[in-house]
Amino acid sequence: MTRRWIALSVVFAALAAVAAPAHAAPSEPSATSREAAPARAASPNIELAQRPRKPLPGKPPAGAPKESVEADVSSRTIAVTSGFTGTEIVVFGSVVNSRQTSAEAGYYDVVVVLEAMATPLLARRKSNVAGLWVNTTSVGFEGAPSYYAIVSTRPIEEIADEDLLERHAIGLDFVRLAPAARSAIETQASDLKAFKEAVVRLKQKEGLYIKADYGVIFIGQSLFRSSITLPANVPVGPLTARVYLFREGELLSTFSSRVKFEREGIELWLYRFAMRQPVLYGLFAVFVAVAAGLIASTVFRRRDAA
Amino acid sequence: MTLTATKRVSAYSMHIYLPIAEMSANVLLFLGMGCAVGFLSGLFGVGGGFLMTPLLIFSGIPTAVAVGTGAAQIVAASVSGAVAQYRRNNVDIKMGVVLLAGGVVGSVIGVKMVRILRMAGQFDLFVALAYVTFLGVIGTLMLIESASAIQAARSGAPRARRQPGQHSWIHKLPFKMRFHRSKLYISALPPLMIGAFVGFLGAIMGAGGGFIMVPAMIYLLRVPTNVVVGTSLFQIVFVSAVTTVMQASENYSVDVVLALLLIVSGVVGAQYGAAAGARLKGEQLRLLLAALVLLVCIRIGWDLVVTPPELFSITTSLGAPE
Repeated sequence: MTRRWIALSVVFAALAAVAAPAHAAPSEPSATSREAAPARAASPNIELAQRPRKPLPGKPPAGAPKESVEADVSSRTIAVTSGFTGTEIVVFGSVVNSRQTSAEAGYYDVVVVLEAMATPLLARRKSNVAGLWVNTTSVGFEGAPSYYAIVSTRPIEEIADEDLLERHAIGLDFVRLAPAARSAIETQASDLKAFKEAVVRLKQKEGLYIKADYGVIFIGQSLFRSSITLPANVPVGPLTARVYLFREGELLSTFSSRVKFEREGIELWLYRFAMRQPVLYGLFAVFVAVAAGLIASTVFRRRDAA
Repeated sequence: MTLTATKRVSAYSMHIYLPIAEMSANVLLFLGMGCAVGFLSGLFGVGGGFLMTPLLIFSGIPTAVAVGTGAAQIVAASVSGAVAQYRRNNVDIKMGVVLLAGGVVGSVIGVKMVRILRMAGQFDLFVALAYVTFLGVIGTLMLIESASAIQAARSGAPRARRQPGQHSWIHKLPFKMRFHRSKLYISALPPLMIGAFVGFLGAIMGAGGGFIMVPAMIYLLRVPTNVVVGTSLFQIVFVSAVTTVMQASENYSVDVVLALLLIVSGVVGAQYGAAAGARLKGEQLRLLLAALVLLVCIRIGWDLVVTPPELFSITTSLGAPE
């Protein structure tokens, strides 16, 4: 009897999954905990930033050594194994020749951008055709970073002007999205803008484009750190961490570092197998399926008979 | 200098990374899904592909990966049944081979079609339309049939048997073959075409196609009922195997890790389902299955007609080699 009840409850669980709306479906329990992390990191500074800022000391005296930024990442290699559920990358560094009196002074602004390689991407828009929602228009992008995280000491709009941010591709509004040549000619400028915004919006929804306005924290006169979430659905590939040091809207120094983000162990083996020898991999999949099907049914039947 | 930051490691890490789908999947969710679909397939004696693929898509697996992996799962789900039927001499090998020949052609065309539709951005739409059409038609027919059967059983009146239709056009076709096991002497063309059609659908929908194959064999080809299930399973195993290899090589969309999760739980679920099914009457089972089929049909159709909250969608070049 109990067996039947277990089985029936499983069926109901499946039906509930069918009934759930599709866009809400990929709800992994870990997703919330992952998203919560940067918010937690940011919270101590929110209070700080809302406080009126202290008047900044005037221009540095002529001849004073110029400030620069040095930084590194907590792990230069991130391995994707079968247990990979995303990770957190700590980007930390210090301001060389810092003139900041304390961590709270707010004398400098630091922006950290963690970005994945640009890959081709196709955005589509649905419209209603004879009562059905059908993909009708599309815009191809030659390259869009598959992952883009930006953390800063305060909202980037307050840190520097748009031209500077755009030049360095800092911020979700200025992610480098180059439309493919054909799409650039065929699409109207206003449409192109809508498509670009849609790409950023959808990527944000997937947790692949991340923004944390108060995610960089100064720990002392010169030391700062930030913690950036790298969710499990980030396409595997090399990452670049770029660190920008600003003061009063002026870019003082930049620093960049690479993070290896690659498959390891069985994940690497399976992926290479599937991509390099697809026919053999297909045969392997059939073999696995046949073996698993036969083994599972015999094992189960034997237990049932016993 | 190293900076030591406290790392939060979740205590219940029941996740596994899917190498082809490129996402971390909740093991329990997919095991439960496999179990549930396995239970239903055991209960109703169907392959379950038509339930599995939509469920995978709803749970966030890319459509192409769901369809490709579905093919591998069907191989596993059908193979033990096919072997058992073969031992009982319930497989018409000759008929199976003819169906298979058609099936391979259909599958090749279907897999190419998947590729073309994916490039055109219409694959998801096509899959949804195919599901709505076939599940709608078959669900409605089954609902009517089983409801009238239940009513007839209740009133006690003898049910009007279906009149055997005169399929004279089938007998006029050329290339006649003798199928000893099925006691048939018919043209090879209808089984070839049925096989091709089912193979094509299997590649597009990620379903074995038993729900089309079985009625087609019974009503169109007039194959004796005892041979139908075995022969259809025989054909489904091989066509799904070919489809799996094709999906892997053309679309890079077969995820072995995901397939394995679904296979193992599916086989276990099917055993419970078969045990539960033995306690229900045939027409009650068919009515339940019809309701389930229509439910899935409506659920998929809903997304097509209701204004989506987000009109845009993005796709990366999933499946392209490095």
